[in-house]
Order: sequence, then C-alpha cells, then structure tokens
Amino acid sequence: MSMELQIPLLWVTVLAPPLLAILFKLLTLEHRNTRLLSYLTAFILLIPAFISVYYLGIKRVSFVKDPIVLNLTDYGIGYFMLVIDGVSLPIVLGISIVTALVSVYSIKYMEHRIDELRRERVEAPGIYAYYILYNAFSSSMLGMAYSTNLIEFFIFLEISLITSFALIAYYGYGDRLRIALMYFVWTHIGGALFLVGILFYGVNTGGFDIIGMDLSYNRVYADLDLRGLAILAPISILLGLMIKMAIIGVHMWLPYAHAEAPTPVSALLSPNLIGIAGYAIARFSIILFPEFMVSIKSILVILSFATIIYGGFVALRQNDFKRFLAYSSISQMGYILLGVSTLTYFGVAGAMIHYLSHAIGKAVLFMISGVFITEVRGLRDMNLMGGLARVYPAMASLALIGFMHLSGIPPTVGLWGELLILIGLVQAYNPASKIDLITIAIAVISAFIITAVYSFIAMRRIFFGRVRVTGVFENIDQFKVTILILGVSGVVFFLMIGLIILPLRDAVGYLLEPIIR
Amino acid sequence: MRVMAEYESLFPWIFSWLAPFIGSFIIALGLLARVRDERFYGYTSVFSILVSAIIASYASYKVLSEGRVIYSGGDIIWIPWINVTLGTYFDGLSAIMSLIVSWVSLLIAVYSIKYMEGDWGYGRYFFFFTFFVGSMLLLVLADNFILMFIGWEGTGLCSYALISHWYTDEEDKWVGKPGRYALGFPMFFEPTHSGVRAILFTRVGDLGLLLGIVILYALTGTFNIVELVNKAPEWLEPLASKGILSLLLITLTLGALAKSAQFPFHEWLVTAMTGPTPISALIHAATMVKAGIYLFLRLTPILLSGALLVHGEVSSLVTQELYNYFLVVAVIGALTAFMLASMALVSDEIKLILAYSTASQIGYMFLGAASAGLLVHTLKPEIIAEGLIAGLSHLASHAVFKAALFLVAGWLIHVAHSRFIDPMGGYAKYMRLTALSLWLAGLSLAGLPPLSGFFSKELVIHISSHAAPLLSGLAILTAMLTAAYTIRLVLRVLHLPPYEAGVRHKPGEAPSVMLTPYLVLAIASLAIGLSWPIASNIYMRAAELTLALGVGYEASVSLSTLTLIVVSAITATIATVYIVYYVIKLNFSELIAKNRLSRVIYDFLYDRWLINPAIYAIFKNGGLRVANTALDIDESIDYTYHKLTPSIGSIIANYIRGVHRGRTDYYITLYIVSAVLIILLALIAIR
Repeated sequence: MSMELQIPLLWVTVLAPPLLAILFKLLTLEHRNTRLLSYLTAFILLIPAFISVYYLGIKRVSFVKDPIVLNLTDYGIGYFMLVIDGVSLPIVLGISIVTALVSVYSIKYMEHRIDELRRERVEAPGIYAYYILYNAFSSSMLGMAYSTNLIEFFIFLEISLITSFALIAYYGYGDRLRIALMYFVWTHIGGALFLVGILFYGVNTGGFDIIGMDLSYNRVYADLDLRGLAILAPISILLGLMIKMAIIGVHMWLPYAHAEAPTPVSALLSPNLIGIAGYAIARFSIILFPEFMVSIKSILVILSFATIIYGGFVALRQNDFKRFLAYSSISQMGYILLGVSTLTYFGVAGAMIHYLSHAIGKAVLFMISGVFITEVRGLRDMNLMGGLARVYPAMASLALIGFMHLSGIPPTVGLWGELLILIGLVQAYNPASKIDLITIAIAVISAFIITAVYSFIAMRRIFFGRVRVTGVFENIDQFKVTILILGVSGVVFFLMIGLIILPLRDAVGYLLEPIIR
Repeated sequence: MRVMAEYESLFPWIFSWLAPFIGSFIIALGLLARVRDERFYGYTSVFSILVSAIIASYASYKVLSEGRVIYSGGDIIWIPWINVTLGTYFDGLSAIMSLIVSWVSLLIAVYSIKYMEGDWGYGRYFFFFTFFVGSMLLLVLADNFILMFIGWEGTGLCSYALISHWYTDEEDKWVGKPGRYALGFPMFFEPTHSGVRAILFTRVGDLGLLLGIVILYALTGTFNIVELVNKAPEWLEPLASKGILSLLLITLTLGALAKSAQFPFHEWLVTAMTGPTPISALIHAATMVKAGIYLFLRLTPILLSGALLVHGEVSSLVTQELYNYFLVVAVIGALTAFMLASMALVSDEIKLILAYSTASQIGYMFLGAASAGLLVHTLKPEIIAEGLIAGLSHLASHAVFKAALFLVAGWLIHVAHSRFIDPMGGYAKYMRLTALSLWLAGLSLAGLPPLSGFFSKELVIHISSHAAPLLSGLAILTAMLTAAYTIRLVLRVLHLPPYEAGVRHKPGEAPSVMLTPYLVLAIASLAIGLSWPIASNIYMRAAELTLALGVGYEASVSLSTLTLIVVSAITATIATVYIVYYVIKLNFSELIAKNRLSRVIYDFLYDRWLINPAIYAIFKNGGLRVANTALDIDESIDYTYHKLTPSIGSIIANYIRGVHRGRTDYYITLYIVSAVLIILLALIAIR
C-alpha cells in the first residue's frame, strides 16, 4: 500500500530551507533574525521525520510519495520522484533530526566562529550565507534519501558536495582552503566513478529509475551483460560509493575534512553524509547488480572488519578530539558496510538502523566538541582536557550517551543496529565447524571491543581525572539543549524501535527479493 | 519436559523490574532540574527498590506456595520481527534470585543514604544505583535473551559509572599500594582506570554472550528462553553434530565468566574497589557478579534436561560435548576459587580481601553447578537439581554475608581513615554490634557450622566430590584458605592492636541507619543457617519450580565422612590461625623480610599471580603496538596520496610545461612534426 501526500511536503523540505535562507538574506540585514531563521529551518527539516514515522511506522503504508513528479523520460532519464519507504526511513529520520537540531545549534557556534575569523582578519561571509549553504546541504541530503532515480541522486549528491566544500573553505579551521580542495577532489573522484557506472547502466537499459512510477523496483539487471569490460560498471559504482564512505584505503580525506570543518558541519558530514553512501550501496548496488554483490560478498565483509578495526586503532592514537571522532566515523562506516554486505534481511536492516544510531551518537559527540571549542578557548586537544566532567557534568553524561550509541550499549538505539548486523552476519556465515566459530568469534569480539576501547578511553581522557581548565562553568542554554534533545532521542528510538523495524523489515525483504529466493 | 506458557497480565509483575527504572528516571529529572535536596534522591531510590522488593516477595510467595510459575507479559511484543516480548518470568530460580537482589539492594540503599551524605555526586550516585538494581532485576526476570542482555549491559554500564564515581582520581580513592609495580606495570589503580577496566573486561565476555545468543537465534528463530527449552533438541543436535556445541557454549559463557569475575577476567573485580564501599557491597552481593552465575544456573538445567531429550546416535555426541563444556567451567571455577583465596591471604586492604573472596566464592558456585553437568551421563534429573541448589544456595548465603562484610568494611574504613588494615585494630571494644556483625558474617564466609555459609559450601563440595574428586580436593583446600584469611582479617581489625599508627579518632558505633542494614544481614546469615531445614526445603521447592527442571533435591546435610572432613579442616584452620596470630602473635612481616623464598611467594601472591601484568603486556602493550603500526600505515597512506602523488604530478607537469618554451622556431618545428604524424596516421587509418 502506498500513500501519496496531498501537498508536496517532501519537495518543500528539499527546496524551502535554502530558499528561506536566501529570502532572509535578501530581506533582512539584521543578524538578530538568525534565531527565527534557524527555528523555521529546524521546523521544516523535522517534517520528514514526523511524516515518515506517522505513515510508515504507525499507518503502516509501504511508500510515502510526493505528488509532484518530474517526467524526464523524453531525455531518457526517467522520473524524478521523492519517496520514503522502509529502507530510507532510518536514513530520513537521522538526517531530519540531526540537521534540524544542528541548525539551532549553529547560531551560537557560527556567531563565535565568524567573530573568531574576523579577529584573524579573515573576511568570511556572514551568518546568512552560512545558513544558505547549510540549508542547501541539509536539504540535498534529504533529497538523496528520497531519490528514486540515479541521476536525481547524483544531482543531490553534487549539491551536497559543493555546499559542504564551500562551508569548509569559508568557515573551516587550520589550512582550510587546502583541506577543502582535498575534500572536493576526493569526493569528486568518488562522484565521477559513481557517475561513470550509472551512465553505463542507464544508457544500456534505457533509464535511470530505481523505483518506477508504480513504486516497484526496476529490476532490469537480467538484461545487462556484465561480461568483459562491463564488469567495470558495478565496480566503478561501488568504488565511488566506498570513497564517499571512507572505507579503509580510500579514507584519507575524511580525517582532514571532518576535523577541520566548522563543528556543526562536521556533525552533519561525519555521520549523515558519508553514511548515505552505505545506504546507496544497499539501495542501488543490490538492486542493479545482485549477482555481482553476491560474488564479492566475502571480500566486502573482510573489508568491513578491516575498516572497523583499523579505524578504531588509529582513533586510539589521536589527540585532537575532532580528528579522533573522524577516525571513529571511519570505523563506524565499517559496521554499516558489514551489515549491507551480509546481504541478509537482518544485516541490511541493521546497517540502516546503525546509520540512525551513528547519526545521533556522532552528532552528539561533535556538538560537544563544539561546546568546548566555543566556551573553553578553542580547546580540542585531548591531552589538555581531563576532569571536564566536573565543570561540564551534563556534557559528560551526554558524551557517555554518544559513546554508548557507537558501542551499541543499551538503552540507546545503537544496540539494535549492532544486534541486527550480528544476526545478519551469523545468517550469512553460519558456523559449521570449530574453525568457523573461532574465526567469527575473534572477528566479532575484536571488532566490537575496539569501539568500546576507544570510546571509554576517550571518555576518561576528556572528562575524568583532575580538573585542568579554569574559569568556565556549564550554563545550560539553548546551544546545549539541542544536544540534550538529540541524545534523548536516541533513547526514545531505543524504546520505540518497533515503529521503525517493521516497515524496515518489509522494505528490506522487498529489496533483497532477487538475492534471497 | 515441555513447558507450557500461560500468560498473566503485565501488571503488577512488570514493576518488579520497572520500578527502579522509573525511580532512576525521576532521579534523572531531578538532576536536570538541579534539585539540591539530597533526601529527594535517596528516598526516591529506596522507595522504588522497595516497590520491587515487595512485588518480588509477593511473587516468590505465590510461586513457592502455589507451586506454579508466574509468567506475565509473554504475549506482549515490544519489538516485532525478532519477537522480543516484555515477559517477566518468575520461576523457582528467578523468584529466589529476585528476592535476594531486591532486599539486599534495599538494605544497601538505606545504608548509602547516610554513607554518601554530603558527597558531591550524591544524585548521580543514586541514579546509577537505582538503574543498577533495575537492570539486575530485569536480567533475572526476563523471559528472553534480549531483555536479559539489556539488563546485562545495564549492570555493566552502571558498574562502570559507580566504580569511577569519584572520577577526579584523588589518591585516597585508589586501590592498591601507590608506587608498587609488578613487571613494570603499576599495581595501583585510579577510580577511572578501574572503571574502564571493569567495562572493557566484561564487555569482551558480553560480546561472546551476544554472539552465542545470536547463533542460537539463527538456529531456532527465537530469543525466548522458555521456547528454547522446548526446542532443545532442535539446537543441541545440529550443534553437536557439527562439533561446535561445547565451543559455542563456552563463547556464550564468556559473558558469565567475565561478569562473575572468573579467571582470567577476575582482574576487573579486584580493582573495582575504587567505588564507594556500598557500591562494592552492591556489586559483590546483589548485582553484577551474581549475573554471571545466575545465567549459568539458568542454562545448566536447560542444557542437561535438553540432553535427556536427545535420542539416537547424536545423543552420545551431545553428552560428550556437554561434558567437555562443563569440565572447562568446573576447572575455571575451582581454579579461580583457589587462586583468589591464596591472594587474599597476603592482602592488606580490607576491601581487597573481601573482593578476592567474592571471586573465590563465586568460583565455588560455578564448581557446584558445573559438577552436575559433569554427571550428565547419569541422566538423572535429581543430579541437575542438586547442582542447581548447590550453586543457588551458596549464591544466597554469599549475598547475605558479603553484603554485611562490605557494609561493615565501609564503616571501618571511615573510622580508620584508611583502606589498609594495618592502621586498624582493637575495634571490638568500641563497637560491639559491628564486631558481632563482622564475626557472624566472617564465620559464615569461613564456612563454620551452623552458619549458612557452611551448609551451602558443603553442598558444593559434596556434589563436586562425586563429579570430580580432584576439584573437590581443591575446594576443600580453598575452604581452609578462606577460613584462614577471614579469621586473620577479623582478628586483625577487631582484637589485635593497630600494627601501624594511623589517624586515630575516637572509634565508635556506626549511626543506626548504617548499623541496622549490616546487623540485619549478619543475623540473617546466622538465622538461615540455624533454620537450614526450612531453607533447604525452600531451595528444593525452588528447584522443582525451575524452568526445565521440575525436580527437587533434598538439600539437607547428612553427617557423612566428607562433612566431617570439611568441618574438621575448617575448624582446625580457624584454631591454627587463632593461635598463630592471636596467641603467639607471630610476626609475619619479619618472617617475610628475612626469608628469601617466603618473600618471593609473598610478592607473587601480593601481585595477584602476576596475571594483571601479563594481561597488560599482551593486550595493552600489544594493542598499543598495533595502534602505532596502524598510525604509521595511516601516515604513509596520507603521504602517498597527499604528498607523493601531487609531487609526481608537479614533476610531470614541469616536463610537459617544458614543451611550451615561447620560441617561434620551436613551435613551427613541433607543428610540422605533428602534422606529418597525423597525416601518416590518417593514411594508415584510411588504408
């Protein structure tokens, strides 16, 4: 059963935020209206969260569709639709909630950052320019999650890359121009590879629709002959997405970009944007090239474990809080890839839930790092931290919740992602002998424990021990309330996971139909 | 036997574990609202645990008197797809367990109200305390592995938070002798270090547990423990025929071993002493470490009665695999019991001695229950019941006397202003009731009849003597060591003069809010022992009503040769220690200082058999080495992409740029050469 909205709310959430920011820029010159702008933005960005939970979770429809459809069949492209289904439900939730709260969080942070830049005699564009870019960035990520067409997805992807590039270049830290360029080049290599792959596919099959007008998957892979050079198409798509996702080996751009971006942007880049690549692998690669995915399943699983463990170990040796979080994101992407590459219902569903839990947990942690940057004189070196819990008790509690999301400790939604991924893994590789069992046990325990190890050691380094900063105290303002709401939402999702898991099960079942028959 | 489920309504049974969670939620709101009144936190906690305790008592009464299991909410699905229900399951085992957990926790909570007075983390303390109790009750009462795992992780999290409660790491909150190193690794631990150790050590086991649960789910399609009993052949057979049954069970039991601080995971528990003393009491007596042995007690009947259901060729395979599994657990249990008891002999920190004894006593519980498993080939359900009762009754006795001991220790540390026993001494004349409590609880730990500790310990030794005589010999030896270190501690603290001058305040009796809890517990430990015929009857009844068991075992102690050996061994030890320590007043430190061999032994025991340095050398240093290598690799990847590639690019660019020299003759020459080349190529192409 599908549900077509009466009003084009999904297009509104994609188009309205940037337009609103442009309008504010044109109409008002006073900066005091940023508060209003951020509230309005947050409100609009939250719409998809409510729509998706209401229709998919409570009403149990399988698709929510926007009434406006762009017909580009004349150009051989297909239809541009905006749709939410069970697979994209956790993704939409994650993007919607995090972008909305970070939008409010940005006010204080960006005012501070722009002041700071001004003191450094750097002429950065003002706060409205920031919001134009930020809103376009947020909306484009929602667009990616709604996309039903490969070209449509690619356009949104490009918008997100360009806006985030500009945000890093204008407001970033350190050698921001070089890092922004590095980010731009890397992600565009990924983007170009993805584009090559989908063009090959689209030109050969006569369309780029993943989900057709009748809301069924467009499964024309059977017509596609993947012998010879054509095998490069799925590889190219996968490689492109893996660069976006920062899988081990092609991850090197991420620590720079995510550590040096302005913190609200890091809070979006790190969990939301890169995770979408994992979603795209589930959505596109599985639909387009099921046999290819089955054939490289084990390679992907090994790669995922390598990413989790490698990212975790490198994170252990980081001293910069944000760079530490960036490496932790690499490690977390391993979990998402692991879930997807098991090619089981549970694994793919677990990966999607892990996207949500990582979005919440990592955004909380980045936002907390931003609190110290704004309030404790730019503090981000973990060697200089310690004892911060005494000064910032609420932030310490929230950071613990953030780390619990990453390590999958209840009562946070992280447990469900971890559990489902593990079920998927065991279903895909059911141990048949002692050696199997030992291999799986060692892989799982060492991969999952490394997350807990870096989480709790970092927790100790940052928050515990003797108090080393002076002259600051925790003032619970709107800036910090956003973090509180986000952290609590992770606990709420833990309790209300039933609303997400059922639509997810059905949609994943539909998605994996050709593989599990 | 097949278990039929009849569901009762969700209320009031769900509040048996939900009440503390609600309590901790209210406390969290209070913390957010910055409520300053300490009473708000303490009373909310006590009240919510009291609700649990009342419901648990009512449920236990109902279960034991009506002789049927209470299963509520097994049809209320919380998480669809994986069918996680909100089931609360009171059978014989979980009823007794919930009774112990809730009442002992309640007494400790009351004690904490006074003990923690004026602490800067008062609200946070009670938040985690209450959450801890809720998690433990959830773990005990859950009808499915997922709910149980949530409780399981909750206890891990709360223990982490409470062990590192004083997270500013002042030296008086450390554990171990500051400045002492073994093999280059520090043997003293700050609270936050201990906290990290606690959560990481146990998390390794938790992941094994989770993996085990998930593998069982993949086979049976259910997380429900009751259904797992009915489906026992379905998962026992394939696992046994693949030859992975014992290995899988060990993976699953890793969680239990880690939580219950069995070798080699015991290290987290002994450094967990950095938390406030009531937390030590809570962790050791009511929650956390009891979780592991509880899971094992839960599993044993399921496995063994499942083995009775398997027929045909696989049957012997299943039996053999189960035997191997139980042998591993029994050996670990006996080894831990002995190892930790030997460490307690030389320790000079009061809480550390008690901590060693906890891991040691839990070793007994594992040994007792696993011994039933070693007798799997007898195919007698009564044996399973005997093992279960041995484990459970010792768990109960231990909960009561260990809580009392820790609460007394909390007061003594407060009086002496030191966690070491050397500045303590001669307290008997200042605090009679505290001294009485310490004596009662200590003798119960030592296993002297007629205290409850004697009966339960005797049960363990009895069943293990049938299953594995060698291990039961070790258990008797451990019982002697236990008696020795306990009596030494009691004499040292209560009757001998202080060994070393410490801060001398006027010692006195504890305030009644603190005194009452431990006095009650100490007397209870005597009362349970005196009324052993009644108590053993309750245990028998509980075993009859335990999931997958349905058979009881008469747990009264008969006067056998073994009993005589045990009693005389313990009594002789107590007498020897009394004479050596109190009458002759042998100076051990001189002895150790003079004799080289005794020095080596002393150091070996004091440094906990050097297990901690070994773990640190392998995992901490090894991990750091891997991390450094990974960092090096990362830097070289960084260099390759962002330095090497661009510089190669710029070198190539320089060469190509060399073509454009800006000289006309040069360009004309190039133009002609290229034109000729193109024409030639075109000609070839046309032909």
